[in-house]
Amino acid sequence: MTEFHEFMVAILRSGTPLVYVTMAGVIAQRAGVWHLGLEGVMIIGACATILGIVLTGSFPAAIAIACVLCVAASVLLWFVIEKLGANPIIAGLGLTGLGIGGTALAVQALFGSLAAVTAPFGVPRLGEAFGSYGALSIFVLMMPFVVWGMWVLLRRTRFGLRLAAAGEHPLAARSVGTDPGRTRLIALASGGVLCAIGGAELAAGGLTIFAQNMTAGRGFMSFAAVIFGAGHPIAAAFAAMFFSLVGVAGIRLQLLFGASIPHDVLLSLPYLATILGVWISGRMRGGAKAATEASELRDY
Amino acid sequence: MSNKPNSMDCGAPLGRLSRRRFLAATAGVSAFVGAGAALPFGARASTGLVALVHTQAAGDSGPIDSMMGRLNQLAEAEGLETRAIYAQDPATYETVLRTLGDAGASIVLGTFPVISEAFKAAAPAYPDTKWIQLFGDPVDPPIANLVTVSYDYYLGCYLSGIFAAHVSQSQQIGYIGGISIPPLNADYNALTAGVHAVNPDATVTAAFAGSFQDPAKGYEIASQMFLDGIDYIQTDSAATDGGIIQAANERDGAMVSALDPAQYALGPASVIGVVSLDFGQSLHNEASAALGADWQGGRHVPTGLGSGVIDFLLSPVYQEQGPEDIVARSQDAWPHVEAARAGILDGSVAVPFNTEL
Repeated sequence: MTEFHEFMVAILRSGTPLVYVTMAGVIAQRAGVWHLGLEGVMIIGACATILGIVLTGSFPAAIAIACVLCVAASVLLWFVIEKLGANPIIAGLGLTGLGIGGTALAVQALFGSLAAVTAPFGVPRLGEAFGSYGALSIFVLMMPFVVWGMWVLLRRTRFGLRLAAAGEHPLAARSVGTDPGRTRLIALASGGVLCAIGGAELAAGGLTIFAQNMTAGRGFMSFAAVIFGAGHPIAAAFAAMFFSLVGVAGIRLQLLFGASIPHDVLLSLPYLATILGVWISGRMRGGAKAATEASELRDY
Repeated sequence: MSNKPNSMDCGAPLGRLSRRRFLAATAGVSAFVGAGAALPFGARASTGLVALVHTQAAGDSGPIDSMMGRLNQLAEAEGLETRAIYAQDPATYETVLRTLGDAGASIVLGTFPVISEAFKAAAPAYPDTKWIQLFGDPVDPPIANLVTVSYDYYLGCYLSGIFAAHVSQSQQIGYIGGISIPPLNADYNALTAGVHAVNPDATVTAAFAGSFQDPAKGYEIASQMFLDGIDYIQTDSAATDGGIIQAANERDGAMVSALDPAQYALGPASVIGVVSLDFGQSLHNEASAALGADWQGGRHVPTGLGSGVIDFLLSPVYQEQGPEDIVARSQDAWPHVEAARAGILDGSVAVPFNTEL
């Protein structure tokens, strides 16, 4: 039983950052933006959290700094897409490059070296009251509520309808008095906060380290989870947790069968699962194909 | 996107510019900037530019940081113009090297084995530049202005294996590498050989993070290893090590043998030692030699135990702050490590170099 709990702890610990960033991708996708800058915003959140803790000695101050910087990066993406008319996919990839390079530059500027930065503490843990799960951070506990809240926001509120209209048919949205550009701004800025939390959980949830490029493709996996989940918050969250499960299982399989199965095959399992998941989703009714049709690219 | 025109829409003024003109203008600006950048670079190179081309990112608290630090020290001591260039994309390795050759760099140092072919291709074209590949195999036939330096790091891992088998209570040892490549496979096999030289029944489990820069993955792998009863992990994964050490910090009695003395502080009561490969010292040795008038190219420099570059070291921090029982065991184990080291140096102990998993 203990092994089961430890396995669940590992899945939750590695899956929670993905879920938060996936929610950022979902809200952007609903607003009509394919957010390929998730990786970049996530690493900004990770870096800002660790540097914030080191520089201020306060976790709330650090997460506030991370949120501000991630929202700023998201607003920059919105400005480039909405006001300068850039292709959202290219702009998103550019933001990823900016995040990875910018965080390295920030560490170099602050510490005079590119060495990994270690903070004295991280995100507060749940504590002994939660038994085997006490080592997890408070963001893990918040995660299901955030997913549920996202579902309510997108599916049960006036704002959610406006957001969907802005994404699916901007002209129709405008005809009823909704400004699609402003709606997208709100969506991307909200996503910035979620990416900040995701990045903070990655760098300071179980760890207290920031290393260059430490997101290691997790932002892109979150984007894949949005596609896999067809833009539905709960489905996308499950997709993100599925990727986490496959990743943790891959580690387990390495330890059990590493002597007989090539390690590279086992390491590639999460990525194979991602491709498989997106492929299956594309063939399901209401799956990735439906989500793709909601892209703002259709309006060009 | 919105079809509504707005005051910041750049489309109208740019609409008068054809794509062909825009591309031509871009090419012109690129050529101008490129020429402008090359001129001062060449001028600086005439004073003796020393460049380090590294294929892993800095910030690893290990090889790259160590090399960059020693390069900076050398620059200050000798008054050299130095550059550290991160070559991320294998497709650009040769271009980066040729650019340095074109700029008249006097010494170009590069890491790691992945850059070998680019060195072989670029070095003959720039005979006035001294090319030094750190962590490379011998070149056959030799190239007159190229020196390759190899590191028998696996020998240090063998010593770590001897040590692990003496200090581990569970007799379950772990190894976490960045990516399964031949040199790291050899490290794992040597670790296993060292463990089995002491206790043939002990188990050694290997796992790879798939990245040298993913501490979160390192944390997960190490956590699972510790849950399985492994109590000693040899790391071989650069910045990923940070996560492994943090996982060890959360478990009583968990021991990690890391890569660099800079990692002692990350785990005062968990980093029990390091298989040290002092890349910075090696860079300093080779660059200093290349600055001399009697430097000879066309050579291969094997670097092993006894060179001051590779060794297995006990952490003095752990000796002060680690659990008393393990510290006592480590002191009991140390004579066995020294005996094995002496055996390797005098040839009485042969450590297999096996790159297959």
